[in-house]
Amino acid sequence: MGKLHKKGKAGAAINYITRNQALKKLQVTLADFRRLCILKGIYPREPKNKKKANKGSTAPSTFYYAKDIQYLMHEPILGKFREYKTFAKKMAKVMSKGQYSTAKTLAENKPIYTLDHIIKERYPTFTDALRDLDDALCMIFLFATMPKTEKIKSETIENCQRLAAEFQHYILHTRSLRKTFLSIKGIYYQAEIKGQTVTWLVPYQFSQDVPTDVDFRVMLTFLEFHQTLCGFVNYRLYSDVNLVYPPTLDLKLDEGGAGMNALIIESTQSSANIAKTVNQPITSTVAASLSKEEKQRLQESEKRLKALSSKIAHIQETEDNSTTAEVDQDADSAMDEFPAPLPNLDGTAAGTVTFTDIQKASQHLTHFQSLFSNCVIFLSREVPRYSLEFVLRALGAQVGWDAVLGEGSPFDENDDRITHQISDRPTQGHRFLSRQYVQPQWAYDCINAGKILVGDTYFVGKTLPPHLSPFVEAKEGDYVPDVNQFEGQTEDLAIESGDEDEEDEDEEDEDEDEEDADEDEDEDTEHKDLHQIELEAEAKGVAFTEFEAKENKKKTKATKAAKAAEPATSAPATRSAGKKRTAAEAEAEEAKELAKIMMTNKQQKLYTKIQYGKDKKAAEVEKLTKKKEQLAKSAKASANKKAKK
Amino acid sequence: MDGDSIVDSQEELDDEDADEEDEESDFDDLVEDDIDPNFGHNLNEPLAPESDYNPIVREYPEIDPVYDSDSSTEENENTVGNIPMHWYDDYPHIGYDIDGKKIMRPATGDELDKFLSTMDDPDSWLSAHNYKDGQDVKLSAEELEIIRRLEGNRIPDADYNPYEDQVEFFSSKTEIMPLSAAPEPKRRFIPSKHEAKRIMKIVRAIREGRIVPRKSGYVPPKPKYYNLWNDADDKPREEHVMHITAPKMKLPTHDESYNPPAEYLPTEEEIKEWNEMDKEDRPKNYLPQKYNALRNVPGYGQFIQERFERCLDLYLAPRVRKNRLNIDPESLIPKLPSPRDLQPFPTRLAIEFLGHEGRVRSISVDPTGLWMASGSDDKTVRIWEISTGRCMATYHLDELVTSVVWGPNKEVAVLAVACGYKVGLILPEKLFSPELTLHSEEYLKAGFANVATGEPNPKAQWKQPTPAEFEKGIRVWVHLQKPVKQVTWHRKGDYFSTVAPDANNSAVLIHQLTKHQTQQPFKKTKGAVQRVMFHPTKPMFFVATQRYVRQYNLQRQELVKTMQTGVKWISSLDVHPAGDNLIIGSYDKRLCWFDLDLSSKPYKTLRYHQQAIRSVAYHKRYPLFASCADDGNVQIFHGMVYNDLLQNPLIVPVKILKNVHQRVDALGALCVEWHPTQPWLISSGADHTIKLFS
Repeated sequence: MGKLHKKGKAGAAINYITRNQALKKLQVTLADFRRLCILKGIYPREPKNKKKANKGSTAPSTFYYAKDIQYLMHEPILGKFREYKTFAKKMAKVMSKGQYSTAKTLAENKPIYTLDHIIKERYPTFTDALRDLDDALCMIFLFATMPKTEKIKSETIENCQRLAAEFQHYILHTRSLRKTFLSIKGIYYQAEIKGQTVTWLVPYQFSQDVPTDVDFRVMLTFLEFHQTLCGFVNYRLYSDVNLVYPPTLDLKLDEGGAGMNALIIESTQSSANIAKTVNQPITSTVAASLSKEEKQRLQESEKRLKALSSKIAHIQETEDNSTTAEVDQDADSAMDEFPAPLPNLDGTAAGTVTFTDIQKASQHLTHFQSLFSNCVIFLSREVPRYSLEFVLRALGAQVGWDAVLGEGSPFDENDDRITHQISDRPTQGHRFLSRQYVQPQWAYDCINAGKILVGDTYFVGKTLPPHLSPFVEAKEGDYVPDVNQFEGQTEDLAIESGDEDEEDEDEEDEDEDEEDADEDEDEDTEHKDLHQIELEAEAKGVAFTEFEAKENKKKTKATKAAKAAEPATSAPATRSAGKKRTAAEAEAEEAKELAKIMMTNKQQKLYTKIQYGKDKKAAEVEKLTKKKEQLAKSAKASANKKAKK
Repeated sequence: MDGDSIVDSQEELDDEDADEEDEESDFDDLVEDDIDPNFGHNLNEPLAPESDYNPIVREYPEIDPVYDSDSSTEENENTVGNIPMHWYDDYPHIGYDIDGKKIMRPATGDELDKFLSTMDDPDSWLSAHNYKDGQDVKLSAEELEIIRRLEGNRIPDADYNPYEDQVEFFSSKTEIMPLSAAPEPKRRFIPSKHEAKRIMKIVRAIREGRIVPRKSGYVPPKPKYYNLWNDADDKPREEHVMHITAPKMKLPTHDESYNPPAEYLPTEEEIKEWNEMDKEDRPKNYLPQKYNALRNVPGYGQFIQERFERCLDLYLAPRVRKNRLNIDPESLIPKLPSPRDLQPFPTRLAIEFLGHEGRVRSISVDPTGLWMASGSDDKTVRIWEISTGRCMATYHLDELVTSVVWGPNKEVAVLAVACGYKVGLILPEKLFSPELTLHSEEYLKAGFANVATGEPNPKAQWKQPTPAEFEKGIRVWVHLQKPVKQVTWHRKGDYFSTVAPDANNSAVLIHQLTKHQTQQPFKKTKGAVQRVMFHPTKPMFFVATQRYVRQYNLQRQELVKTMQTGVKWISSLDVHPAGDNLIIGSYDKRLCWFDLDLSSKPYKTLRYHQQAIRSVAYHKRYPLFASCADDGNVQIFHGMVYNDLLQNPLIVPVKILKNVHQRVDALGALCVEWHPTQPWLISSGADHTIKLFS
């Protein structure tokens, strides 16, 4: 006989702990526990058997993994929380007595906690941190646009703005932006950093009205963590591409005039760019952070900043070509490291990756990264510069803007080099013939399509083509809206793009050749004696019906090929076939129905479940297609009416 | 110690020594009252100017030091003191003078006199009665002034200033003369123990690091960020079941675009539906919207809320690892041999047998395969020619016919019919050759000669039919105690068994035709018997009760096996012609296949009918079996049994005959029967029809 097992001594009963038990064990308040959970990333669990986990009780409760709580007991931050509590008590006591000197001493020794060790613990490798960067970035970009309130301090907002700008600058520098999407909620960006896709959402730049039903204590605790994470990640990213972090205005280099040195150019460029990209707010944040440390220097530096902007413009003008070349080189080296194919660019999803595949993918990538490299784009005053400048420069464009959008534009509207002007107004008054006028959506669609689209469809005042999400990967059975939207619209702007097209054609040709070869084989087999084949099949153990079906398939394939040759005649035939169920189809369906009988109960349940999901999806697709048809009909009708009139 | 130090120490300790402070205040009063404000000043020094220091000098009325000035000597004063004067009310005197002599009450006039005197004296209102002297005293102007001030809630003394300036005796200036003549106490010359204690406390705290000395000057802050990760040393987190990373946010779909394709925009109904839905129930937290230009796109009002919800999800939502099956549903469907390879089996309706006017409960095909008998609720038994569908004979009986079965022996043409409480044996004339008819006649008659010897069995009485019935073709009646539901023949055609479920322990009876004998095989009932069946080759007997099928050995008279079907109520039973397999149908839609050699549990349980299964049947020659159910469908299976014991039977559904019989009163197809030689299936139903499929 086996050992007797006591109830509640193993398994779920000791693996899980309810929230109240955890509070008692840690001897913290609920608020402190919440903060701990947020900072340490501890989350409730769902035990398989709640009754077993709850010692027989079925009362609803939140369960935590017992070991998580066990580890929390040794968390240094927990100690800091307690210290802070005593500090607060002491402070209150001292202040009520009016012992201000003591209060001052106390305040100087205020317990401060850092989250460094938690970041390292939660993200043991840098890749882990990148993988979890989405939420942090969303939070930081949101708080960068928040107004200052009682709860949200201005320092927090400034720090968020600074972190966001730093991160954006890294993306610019490495040209790692991949996808963008204008949604009703905000603008989504997706970048690929060290093989990890990082997606973040930036709200449109309107003043956020702070809702009352949101608990900002929770939000701010998260923000605290996310700020730290973002800071460390930015540091690492900057140091990986040999940039100085934090990117401040380096006065020594500036005074030394070391702008000629390549490495120094990078670092100075970075700091100057930051000042430029997020013009006023960022310089102010930089100023704020500095002012605490060195007020005197700052005043000098601010003076110099103005001088510098003109200097930078000069440097950029002179070194435009050289810098772009350098960036390209960088991109090349980066590409060698990360040869992951671009998901949106290539359709070469192959099972086996050959060297040529990798090469092709890397070529795609370089081409994509310098998508706008031949474009000089001017932003009119009504377009969102905060997004467009980032997006365009991330893919190599030179961007200038109206003075209303901020200072520091490298060129003004009258510049001859401008190839595109982005404006968002009902009509365009004065036009330069040398440039294309496009609406902002053009930029985003170009990035998502991976090529420069013809500007005519995006001309100012025109009805825009629908803006589709680049994040949707159409699977079989999904509804795909307007697949051929962008086909045949590529502009022959860059030589590389032309090459690209040719390559594509080559590929297609190759594919066709292969297909041809297959067909030839098929024909050959047909020429063989049918009887012989039958015999072979029998020897292999293929059932006669299967064999027959195969043969039929071959035949239909052949007929299909024939039909493809004469599409005009085949079209009605296929239509009639679509309406009537062929005998073969009916038979197959019946066979399926019969086979379903032999499924086990478990399989049957699973099958119905899967089928339910499939049906639901199919219904959704059908709804959309129907709607589209109806819309097309009504559009046609209205067009006819107009024509009659 | 001079005044200066005293002041300092007093300031330091004022909260500690309250007593000292009290003393001090007393001392203050004393000083104020008795000491000249200029006392202690250096006489050589000029006095402080008047404006700075201006003590009030009180002026008291000048006393004229004449002989008579002392009022005590003036008169003989009452010496009783401050006592209530009514004590003397009953006495003629009002007290005693200084010499101890009585002071007599002064004579007072009556009320009239008093009134007159007040009227006469204009100052009478200014006088007060002195009870001690018993006289009226006129108040002086000063006294009146005091009264007036008291009435006005003012200090009685008009000259008193309550807000006099304080005289600073304990100032920073060192005075020449000490304030007190007391010698300096000793404690002033020895270090304070208390202070030492307090200092030691602080020293200890500093030593232990509890008190950190104030930072002096500017301390540059530590770098806030540094390289936290070191690729060489970092070890990736080990995979652990309990570590579940938070799922990423869902990426936006096309309908979230600011300018989506028009088909994604919701209709008005959809918008209304969305608005009426609870916030939690909404499939998406936004409604697709279309703006024709980027400049028209407003800020998203729910942005902060959504981010907050995400935050809540991250730290509040229980996480659970769910294995998502990413399998093709088609792969779940078992690969079966194509039905085409398993031909022959009936696929289409060949003949319809029409004529019955009630439900056709039971059908049976004779062993030659030429004739079919059917029993119906219209109290008739009909015999049909299978090849043509013609009704060859009709037997009108007086009860519902529940079961008809042809005798399996080809030498004897006999049809057993269960009809109410009795079982009839019919010899259909004219259908068979005269020799066969004659032989059958003799076979059926033989028993009557035999039965005369024994006593009649009360449970089953063998009786001769009436001449009219004999004319029709009925040869023998067996009367039972309860209504008979089923009749089944032994393979040799001599024995047949009947089932009368209501008849307790005699529910199952086995009758011998040649001897007209009846046996009751079971003493006890084990549940309501539904069906019985003889083994096709061995002396075995199967009895199906509601839930179990029991196999008995008739020779040894013992239970061989009990099969647990797992169904609620067995409706039908059939044994494979080889005898090793068994199928049952149940009212709870299940069909179970038992391999008798394998286990007492079903080898396969299939559920495919929508309604209760009424009948199941094996084909005698082909590997086929069929079932029919109340949904009106008939299902045909290929059921191959191999001689090799190691190979399991192969069951393949080959054909569903849909809506073979119409549903009438919740009953559909009632009985299926295979043709003994051909792959033909005959089914009968509640819609009064019989159909043959080939």
